[in-house]
Amino acid sequence: MSAPSAAPGRLPPVSGEWIDRSRTIDFRFEGVAYQGFAGDVPSAALWAAGVRTLGRSFKYHRPRGLLSFANHDVNALIQWGARLNLRADVEPLEPGMDLTAVNTFGGVQGDRARVLDLLGAFLPVGFYYKAFHRPRALFPFWERFFRRVTGLGRLDFRAPRLHTPKRYDFADVLVVGAGPSGMAAAVAAGRAGARVVLVDENARIGGSLGWQRGGDTASLERLRALEADLAALPNVSVRPGTLAAGWYADHWIALVDAVRMTKLRARATIVAGGAFEQPAVFRNNDLPGVMLASAAQRLVHRYAVKPMDRAVVLTANADGYRAALDLLAAGVSVGPIVDLRAEGESSGLSERVKQVGIQVLRGHCVLEARGRDGRLCEVTICPWDGQGNASTAAPQKVACDGLVMSTGWAPAAALLYQAGAKMGFDERRQQFVPAALPEGVFAAGRVNGVFTLDNKLADGERAGLEAARLLGFDAPAPRSVAPDLDAASHPWPIVDHPAGRNFVDFDEDLQVKDFLNAAAEGFDNIELLKRFSTVGMGPSQGKHSNMNAIRLLARIRGASPGEVGTTTARPFFHPVPLSHLAGRGFSPRRETPLHSRHAGLGAVWMQAGPWLRPDHYAVPGKRKSENVREEARAVRTGVGLIDVGTLGKIELYGPDAGAFLERVYTGKFANLKVGMTRYAVMLDESGVVIDDGVVARLAEQHFYFTTTTTGAAVVYRELQRWNAQWNLDIGIVNATGPFAAMNLAGPKSRAVLRAITSLDLSNEAFPYLGVRQAEVAGVPARVMRVGFVGELGYEIHVPAHQAGHLWDALMQEGAAHDIRPFGVEAQRLLRLEKGHIIIGQDTDGLTHPDEAGLEWAVKMDKPFFVGQRSVDIVRRRGLRQKLAGFRLDAASAAVAPKECHLVIRDGRIAGRVTSVAFSEVVGAHVGLAFLDPDLSAEGTPFFIRADGGTMVQARVVALPFYDPAGDRQKISG
Amino acid sequence: MPYQLLRFALSAKHPEAPMFRAPERLRDSYDAVIIGAGGHGLASAYYLARDHGMTRVAVLERGYIGGGNTGRNTTIIRSNYLTPEGVAFYDESVRLWQDLSQDFDLNLFYSTRGHFTLAHTDSAVRTMRWRAEVNKHLGVDSELVGPEAVKEAAPQIDLSCGGHAPILGALYHAPGAIARHDAVAWGYGRGASQRGVEIHQRTEVTGIDVQRGKVRGVQTSRGYVSTPRVLSAVAGFTPRVCHMVGLRTPLYIHPLQAMVTEPQKPWLDPILVSGSLHVYVSQSARGELVMGASLDPYELHSTRSTLDFTEGLAAHMLDMFPFLSHARVNRQWAGMADMTPDFAPIMGTTGVEGFYLDAGWGTWGFKATPVSGKTMSWTVANGRDHDLIKPFNLSRFSRYELTGEKGAASVGH
Amino acid sequence: MKILTCPVNGPRPVSEFVYGGEVRPMPDPANTSDFDWADYVFNRSGIPGVKVEWWYHLASGTWFLAERDTVADRVLRTWLPGEEHP
Repeated sequence: MSAPSAAPGRLPPVSGEWIDRSRTIDFRFEGVAYQGFAGDVPSAALWAAGVRTLGRSFKYHRPRGLLSFANHDVNALIQWGARLNLRADVEPLEPGMDLTAVNTFGGVQGDRARVLDLLGAFLPVGFYYKAFHRPRALFPFWERFFRRVTGLGRLDFRAPRLHTPKRYDFADVLVVGAGPSGMAAAVAAGRAGARVVLVDENARIGGSLGWQRGGDTASLERLRALEADLAALPNVSVRPGTLAAGWYADHWIALVDAVRMTKLRARATIVAGGAFEQPAVFRNNDLPGVMLASAAQRLVHRYAVKPMDRAVVLTANADGYRAALDLLAAGVSVGPIVDLRAEGESSGLSERVKQVGIQVLRGHCVLEARGRDGRLCEVTICPWDGQGNASTAAPQKVACDGLVMSTGWAPAAALLYQAGAKMGFDERRQQFVPAALPEGVFAAGRVNGVFTLDNKLADGERAGLEAARLLGFDAPAPRSVAPDLDAASHPWPIVDHPAGRNFVDFDEDLQVKDFLNAAAEGFDNIELLKRFSTVGMGPSQGKHSNMNAIRLLARIRGASPGEVGTTTARPFFHPVPLSHLAGRGFSPRRETPLHSRHAGLGAVWMQAGPWLRPDHYAVPGKRKSENVREEARAVRTGVGLIDVGTLGKIELYGPDAGAFLERVYTGKFANLKVGMTRYAVMLDESGVVIDDGVVARLAEQHFYFTTTTTGAAVVYRELQRWNAQWNLDIGIVNATGPFAAMNLAGPKSRAVLRAITSLDLSNEAFPYLGVRQAEVAGVPARVMRVGFVGELGYEIHVPAHQAGHLWDALMQEGAAHDIRPFGVEAQRLLRLEKGHIIIGQDTDGLTHPDEAGLEWAVKMDKPFFVGQRSVDIVRRRGLRQKLAGFRLDAASAAVAPKECHLVIRDGRIAGRVTSVAFSEVVGAHVGLAFLDPDLSAEGTPFFIRADGGTMVQARVVALPFYDPAGDRQKISG
Repeated sequence: MPYQLLRFALSAKHPEAPMFRAPERLRDSYDAVIIGAGGHGLASAYYLARDHGMTRVAVLERGYIGGGNTGRNTTIIRSNYLTPEGVAFYDESVRLWQDLSQDFDLNLFYSTRGHFTLAHTDSAVRTMRWRAEVNKHLGVDSELVGPEAVKEAAPQIDLSCGGHAPILGALYHAPGAIARHDAVAWGYGRGASQRGVEIHQRTEVTGIDVQRGKVRGVQTSRGYVSTPRVLSAVAGFTPRVCHMVGLRTPLYIHPLQAMVTEPQKPWLDPILVSGSLHVYVSQSARGELVMGASLDPYELHSTRSTLDFTEGLAAHMLDMFPFLSHARVNRQWAGMADMTPDFAPIMGTTGVEGFYLDAGWGTWGFKATPVSGKTMSWTVANGRDHDLIKPFNLSRFSRYELTGEKGAASVGH
Repeated sequence: MKILTCPVNGPRPVSEFVYGGEVRPMPDPANTSDFDWADYVFNRSGIPGVKVEWWYHLASGTWFLAERDTVADRVLRTWLPGEEHP
């Protein structure tokens, strides 16, 4: 391994620098070893080492260096192991980093895809819409090719899931952006007593105070003073390295840092996120060495990296002059300053650059840049008219390895858009500024069109005071802020060139002509232009491209940028890792109180809504079907026990309880005798069957009833709603959780139960469909004689915490009778043999009661029940299908149909199997199927198309298949 | 290098004409007015002109071409529906889709990827079998497959989904595809425009003139135009347009959100949908993972985003693909879905003579773009419902003849 | 996340609530035509605007009414059924 390269570009210590020179960090980029310092970012360390090609562009694979150096462009996207698409401009440098540029073919230097740059003439805007579809057979080949050359980083499929915890936080005022205006806002609101959170995506606060110094240290001193002000306010929490990724309703803001997302609820939001410096557009403006002035200043002041040796400054505002002075102070040879404005700079900065001997060319532009070995070596400067027309008669060529651009800014207004602010174009300032802000949302500083330092501080203070006053804090009335005199943005920082390569969007490699051509094809409003050209669709979401795109489109249409308007900035401000969003994940699962018993008995689980239920109990060495059959056999011949605690359980009290049930269920309940139960069917207002259960009357004014497992929550909720309207004198309590339930079933169930209760279990004292409250195994229980599985059976409901005790007692007493726990699968078979339907399996979202054979449970002679009027209409319409029992012909049993196989008649769909199983007691496959009504008469043969298309014959038989007289449920003894 | 691109290099001037044209002024009258220049409206205009010779047609759009749900959906195309009428309708759509790039001479990036609807519960397996059987019966390529087939198509998937939603099987639909959604609107728009249809953007319909139960004209932000036929193809704005003619509908408007990651190198070929985890995902030609979840839970006539949508979807994505922890979400957005009680569209004639509806597209409208255009243009031209859309007439609700698509509701999209 | 004010429990994030749809008075089933009954069962107003809606606070099991602007997603007021419309 070679020794890390030296860093020739590292400056002597710069006051306020972010690096810790006492701690060196070794890392690799594209296989070469480098060294940086703690606090560095890869781009800075590489730039210091003389590396100029940090990445390759998306479409043409042109070499790219630093442009914004602020995470606003994606020229430097890197990969480190499983971590893809990292921003080399902002990612903290870590020991052992082994970095590669993304999306290269053979490395960033020799990238074979650079040939695409030579083919540019064949690849106009939207070229992929124009070709590759003919001949059609070749499209898959082209698609594979496109997929291979696009895409950025590579996933590592072995990477483990990160379970990233989230935090919640609250603030009176959230201030986004800790530059001068944000800090001033936080101080003002904090002094008024507000609880303030101040966030900034950069590793340190200060914003432009730290990097835009204009050659002296006054701004740094301001920064230190503001830091001291903030530190003196315990109610202000300052959070660098924290990104406000999105603003959501009611000031709910996603704060994202390196390790987690914090969801913060604020009462007011101050957006002081500044502005994105915008590139000037000229030929080869993407050459490594051409960068935004702010990027060069950040390199110098944060990382003590000399951006270039010899710089030309292209500007149209005071910021460019400040940058020239900063570069000069860093030992860069500076000049000329190319000022797009004929009148030049009006502030004192003009005099200052003159004093230090920097030449200024007013009314000039940079026509093109030229590179050698993938880096800038020369720029061509011409006079121009300020409107895009350069006089190329006497171009002036200047050798340089750096060109810094400061010709305009675009507001970082994403959060304002998300909050619903209206932005308007200010012609004088040549910038979109907030025109109307929603309540509780404030803007300050550059985003508000305020650029001079004093004004930014004043504007921040104003916003802080306004926010505090809105929230009721005692704060002085803010002073109004005098507007800036000069525009910070040039209206047309664009010089066209016949040879092109004048980039507007550096993410997507879009040039000026792409916009002209897109508009010529009819994509002449900003939204269509965006979609056709993909401007602003790259990872940086148009932060450095949208403004110039708007200016171009405005000129094409002969409109102002304000008339063209902007596209909406949706979340996120910067891309957010899935792990941060996902957090630890939350997948609720419910277990009944008997869960550990089931597990101990070898339960194989199935999901039923949020519940886990035993599908069956595995017996070693036996297949599932054997186990299920044996469990069912135990119930038919001996005794079985199933946990039915997932059923919804509702208590209903009050004088109107019976009347209420009559309204919500199809049957009659007012006449239900105390101590008896009755099957109940619930419809929705369109007459569709949505739930069923058993209603037990425990006392004159006390009912207890069950719902389906999956319907429990909804049924309870809807019952509450009905009574919120009817105001009957009732109380409804959801007892699903508090009660456990198990069904002891089989001819020997009475014998088992008798051993642990003093309740008289005789048929006379406790008849079929009766309900009794008694102690069972010393536990207060509600015992219902139900017949879902078609045998003598007792459904026993007990307080949840006593369920285990009861289960153990039943299993213990049952041991003498070879009791078997049985699961859902056996229960499904047993109930099928009895012809009992399962809502949701033997019905669907449109099943009316008559179709499901539930006419008998629908009492139309009541004054009202939910769905009654619809049933009336549907009945007059006539039956469309009918659920019927069927038995598979013996000859067909080799290929048994499955649930949801279709009934086919004359090549037409004539029905569907909803339930099917082999029944030992019947000695055949039996099932339920929806059939055309004329097929549903007893004895009618029909065909089911089973697996592999095999047609099997079945015949309609009367229900139930087993024990039609229902004697088994009523046996005595 | 395909020959179609040669002309761009050989021509000094960009050799392309505008895709859409419209005269400065609206005419006084049209044979038909289509409200909404989304995919459905433009497709209807295209087929009206191409198949029915109706070219005195104006498409009026309050915003811009394809700016509604056409440009906001996750571009999934499939025909594996539950009901025979649904399957027949969407299958015809898939057939049209497959020729569309050639019809338009515009590459829609129609990419057949295969579509898996994952089943995590035994009841979902039953529903998948139901759909597969109906599909096969009608000649649509669908099959109930086991988890191993999912693993083979997407080897990176965690079949246990983090341990809490094991994949028990899937409905595999080989023709499942994705396409470049915006280009669909542009292709139809260009084709319609070339045949004489006028597409007026930034033109809002403010009223519909109905006299004695018949459409007479429309009032717009740019004046009145008379017309005997109005087709409304405005998705989430349908209730407003219906209100103009006094029609009530069962439509309810809920936002449907989506999000997209930064581009990654290709790894996911099929389209995966999980009803239990509320995830649908595919990887675009650019390498982005395009992801959606379930409908927002309450009515809203806005395309605002919510954070909890991204949180839930991200968690479920990581259940399926744990290695995506470092992948970043670039952007989220929303559309307004016009939902119906039976998860089928509302199409065709209405109680108002000359007023035609193409609505109720909820979360399933993109895939139906071609066939909606085909059948609605036929319906408008003939004044009666095309056979394929008869089951979808608005009157089915008052007749209690809802379509059975609701049975498959748990899977969506 | 949206904040909704439960009349019993005060302001809470919307994830604690279930939307119950627009309040629709039920016509008298006995004196309503089939057509009008189907209109009540299936049709919705669908048009944006300020609507009175049902909302349910899941944690406490409280149904209440909310007047909400379905464009701006602004809740103007909430109250319990049977209480005076404030």
